[in-house]
Amino acid sequence: MTEILTIKKLAVKVCIGLVILLAVMCICTLSGTQKISLQKVLDGPGQKPGENIDYEIFVGYRLPRVFLAVLVGAALACSGVVLQAILRNPLADPYILGISSGAGLGAIIAIISGMTWSLWAGSPLAIFAFIGALTTVWLVWSIGHFAGRSQVTSLLLAGVVVNAFFSAVIMFLTSIAKSEQLRSIIYWLMGNITDKSSSVLLAGTICITAGIICLFSISNRLNIITLGEYEAKGLGVDTEKTKILAFTFTAFITAVAVSLSGLIGFVGLIVPHAVRLVFGPDHRQLLPLSAIIGGIFLVIADTLARTIFGQEQLPVGVITAIAGGPFFLILLARYTKKVSWSK
Amino acid sequence: MSNTVEIKNLTFSYTDKVILDDLSLDVKQGIFVGIIGPNGAGKTTLLNLLCGLLRPKTGTIEIDGTNIESFTVRELAQKVAVVRQEFVPVFDFTVAQTVSMARTPYLGTFGFMGRTDRQIVHDALEATDTGIFASRILGSLSGGERQRVFIARALAQKTPILLLDEPTSFLDLKHQVNIYDLLKAAQLEQGKTIIAVTHDINLAAQYCDVILLLGSDSSFRYGYTKDVLSVEQITKAFGVNIYSGKVGQEHFFIPLGKHAKDSEQANKMQDKT
Repeated sequence: MTEILTIKKLAVKVCIGLVILLAVMCICTLSGTQKISLQKVLDGPGQKPGENIDYEIFVGYRLPRVFLAVLVGAALACSGVVLQAILRNPLADPYILGISSGAGLGAIIAIISGMTWSLWAGSPLAIFAFIGALTTVWLVWSIGHFAGRSQVTSLLLAGVVVNAFFSAVIMFLTSIAKSEQLRSIIYWLMGNITDKSSSVLLAGTICITAGIICLFSISNRLNIITLGEYEAKGLGVDTEKTKILAFTFTAFITAVAVSLSGLIGFVGLIVPHAVRLVFGPDHRQLLPLSAIIGGIFLVIADTLARTIFGQEQLPVGVITAIAGGPFFLILLARYTKKVSWSK
Repeated sequence: MSNTVEIKNLTFSYTDKVILDDLSLDVKQGIFVGIIGPNGAGKTTLLNLLCGLLRPKTGTIEIDGTNIESFTVRELAQKVAVVRQEFVPVFDFTVAQTVSMARTPYLGTFGFMGRTDRQIVHDALEATDTGIFASRILGSLSGGERQRVFIARALAQKTPILLLDEPTSFLDLKHQVNIYDLLKAAQLEQGKTIIAVTHDINLAAQYCDVILLLGSDSSFRYGYTKDVLSVEQITKAFGVNIYSGKVGQEHFFIPLGKHAKDSEQANKMQDKT
């Protein structure tokens, strides 16, 4: 029985993952349209401002951005893992319960109204997106609870309905937006990683890390919940409590990620799948490894987004969608084949 | 420790239909109970009441003198293990992973197993002959193999009571007998109380010590197998003509409908009783 997970095996895998993540972060921070040399960066600390441009680009511009990409990638991937487990649907993603449209609506209201204040270093855009996301999840959860016995189905349906309605409102607002606002709306909806102040980054890091740790603490229960409600209760898992915890934490980290970077698609869908294909479905390792690989994936995607067309930057969502679309199709084919075969 | 299951004046109804009405019985530790009865008589409902998924409208279910409603989900999972009809999980867990999940009610938050847990899982795999495909995923097994895995999981849960809901439907003859032999072994060797819902009267006759026959009018009969399983009782409960014969100790029962080749045989039996 070599395949039974032990703490030691898990620790080794996570450490290897973290080392790879750090290596990727270093490479991505050093690459860009503006060439910088590692030697100069290492000389940087202690020098006066303006003396060492390479160091300033590295620390002031690229490092925060790479860091943000890791954070958002990890949050979305973890959120995807957990929602796929709770909804027992391998095609679920962090946005399935309407979080995207809610956050989108909040963001667009902030953009259109042209607010310029800031609260604890958070821009109106981020704060409105965050509030929109959490409100929608709460709305979907209450509709789903109100509507039905078979909770998973009614939740998914509530998510679809709320999503459709909010998307309509988003389209309406987009159509009346001023042309100079359109670009920011579109970039936000596609998902875009830009520079953020260090205090925002710090707050984001704390929130997302805490959320992921909380999710990790219920990861063993998630394994059992994927067998279904009756089975899980028979194995001593309090399904109601676990589900509420899981939904709360995923909603929270997704809302934080979305408010930092807009709607980056596919990360939360394909990363959990890829990790599950390689390492199996045990959530105790699926969750931390997805966090790491989600981070790696988004850092690479964002590096491509800012380098592929020289000075002109793409929204990172375009890259993840181009890479993710075909992958999703393969997955879908594989999954449908499996279902029809097992029936 | 005796883990007697006591059902006292149990009543259960779905919105307007009464399913179980004033059901009272004792199940002693270490016996094999078969629950039989027509569709809709409340067999699965009773099973779900016994494992705490449903709550009685009135009456109580006690294990070892304690009302099961006062157990936590975790405590109850240390007393009662459930095997339902075999199914394919959504995600590709291996056989070993599935059986290991049985240890959850005894383990900490992360469910990492110690030496004894691993030994228990190993023994359960051995007992059910599922060790040979321990590293295969459940989806790649046949229905009979998969059901053996779920029974291995129930054994690894180390509970005094084992509940089964039609464990052998969809299985061929060999696998049906296989599963019942496994259960009988668990009863005799480990002293488990086994309560199985089944549609197969003949398997129940061969393996069960006592039978609970539920009627569709929420009547019930509970007693030794040979007392409960009679042509008269079965005909009444299921509303179908029965031909019965005897092999060694136990009777066998064949339902014969109007157009069955030997329907006359059943009619003769009917006249005799």
